[in-house]
Amino acid sequence: MEARGEVFDLGYQHYEGPREGRGRARKALWIDGVRTSLGIGRSAWAKIIPGLFIVALTLPAIVIGVIAVQMGLQEAGIVDHSTYLQIVLMFMLFFTAVMGPELLCPDRRDMVISLYIVRPMTMADYLTGRWLALFSLTLALVYLGQIVLFVSFALGSNDTPGYMRDNWLDVPRFLAAGLILATFTTMIALAAAALTTRRAYAAAIIIGLYIISAPIAGSLGDPATCNQEPTPGGECIPIAGSATPWIALLDLGQIPSHVNKYVFPDSGDDLPIVASAAELNPVVPVAWYVLLTVGSGALLWRRYQGLAR
Amino acid sequence: MKSVDFEVSQGITGILGPNGAGKTTAIKLFLGLTRPTAGAALILGQEPYVSIDARQRIGYMPEHDCLPGGLSASEFLAHMAQISGLPPEEARIRSADALRHVGLHEERYRPISQYSTGMKQRVKLGQALVHDPVIILLDEPTAGLDPAGREEMLDLVRRIGTDFGISVLLSSHLMNDVERTCDKLIVLEEGEVVEQGTVSGFTQETEAVYVEVDDNRDELLAELQRMGVQAALEGGAIVVEFSDEAGYDHIRDAIVASGARLRRMGPRRGTLTDIFRHSAS
Repeated sequence: MEARGEVFDLGYQHYEGPREGRGRARKALWIDGVRTSLGIGRSAWAKIIPGLFIVALTLPAIVIGVIAVQMGLQEAGIVDHSTYLQIVLMFMLFFTAVMGPELLCPDRRDMVISLYIVRPMTMADYLTGRWLALFSLTLALVYLGQIVLFVSFALGSNDTPGYMRDNWLDVPRFLAAGLILATFTTMIALAAAALTTRRAYAAAIIIGLYIISAPIAGSLGDPATCNQEPTPGGECIPIAGSATPWIALLDLGQIPSHVNKYVFPDSGDDLPIVASAAELNPVVPVAWYVLLTVGSGALLWRRYQGLAR
Repeated sequence: MKSVDFEVSQGITGILGPNGAGKTTAIKLFLGLTRPTAGAALILGQEPYVSIDARQRIGYMPEHDCLPGGLSASEFLAHMAQISGLPPEEARIRSADALRHVGLHEERYRPISQYSTGMKQRVKLGQALVHDPVIILLDEPTAGLDPAGREEMLDLVRRIGTDFGISVLLSSHLMNDVERTCDKLIVLEEGEVVEQGTVSGFTQETEAVYVEVDDNRDELLAELQRMGVQAALEGGAIVVEFSDEAGYDHIRDAIVASGARLRRMGPRRGTLTDIFRHSAS
């Protein structure tokens, strides 16, 4: 029996369905940003780096959580939520430094951006969509680890409801600390990405700033780094003298930690430079954080205003 | 641009002009990328820099590269359809349709970086078409194409304007492209409109006759001028202008007298080149 069929060319069909305007455009851009960051829909190679970061950012929480559950919280004697943030901070800085340029640079290099801004989307929509993609992903990764920790600590304690009742304040604290960290690192990353169309250069700029600023602030901003000439009483005089806590603020990667010091006031495992900066009036580190975050946003906005014309 | 006043209606309209004439500025005004310092640029009856949602019905194909090499054409067009406001499922269907119409159906899953220049131009056209716009603005759509690719692109543009029922505004510095493709024409020079009207109006028959001969061309020209006929060399031919039927008799007599061998003779059609000649003079 012979099978027969016919193919009809209906010609060009006009679209009669819904047009969802600016809202759909913003949502599509956000989803595209998240997919790009995770390498979804890209080659296997594009998935390797985000995959490694996800493992690096969540594995410590899983390991700590398993230990807490297996050994019991008291016996394990392990880190708190504040210290956990310090553990994953370096990975978080590198994650945003690599992913921020991935979101912005190719659009400018390939000039795809010229197609975005002639559609129902303003430059502000574009930048907000890209930033939100990186911000939400960063936040999700920070929160994932913290949630794993909190649940593990609760399960690992002798009295789970009691642990949750006594430590419920940790939840809004780690939520706030995650917001502070994600806002800062994503803004810095996108501002650096606005300076060049090359992803590698942008990532190198940010990572370079983090790496260079850390030892400068770490040596001169640490009150335990003494002058060569001790006092007659053997007292340690910091090299930078009274400027020591101010120099501690120069470590770009630790700027969110200076603010989070006030989110976790009882944490006893602060880094020396975080403790050093805490000697300043709290307004100073907070204002420094706001200045750098808003300044990065302003730089980003200014660079893209030129492109819109 | 200064004191410019023109209207683009249904069909295919060409904006023609040399580099720096203001073609790209005109397109940027209609796209809402530039605000006019005076007056207004309206598209679909709205100011595009004020009414962002009006851009849902506008398509744009820039002259420069604008494609992400790492994505497939299918994925890229579906994304651009969503950015134009279409829901995801509809965007995927429209993406496949648009790529079929521009002749890239079979290759749509390959990364764009593997495409030839002609295929990339088709993707650029496809992304302008994917959300079914009311009007498409094309900036030098044949730039960088070889002669065969150029023919195909112009055919596609013609189909969009006629079969698809989408208005087209085509900017080009190539007179032949505009002459072949467009119904209407706006000629810009140094930011001003120097001519506008239908292309057929510019290229209609004139009251001149061109005469091509194999030899004795100069003798023929001299003979015509001796008879008091207005004649001049243009390219390899002689263009004779007259206003009465006796003109053809003069040409016949001059050919016999000069001993020239006639190869071709016919009414001369105007070309878009003439517009620039007239405006320059």
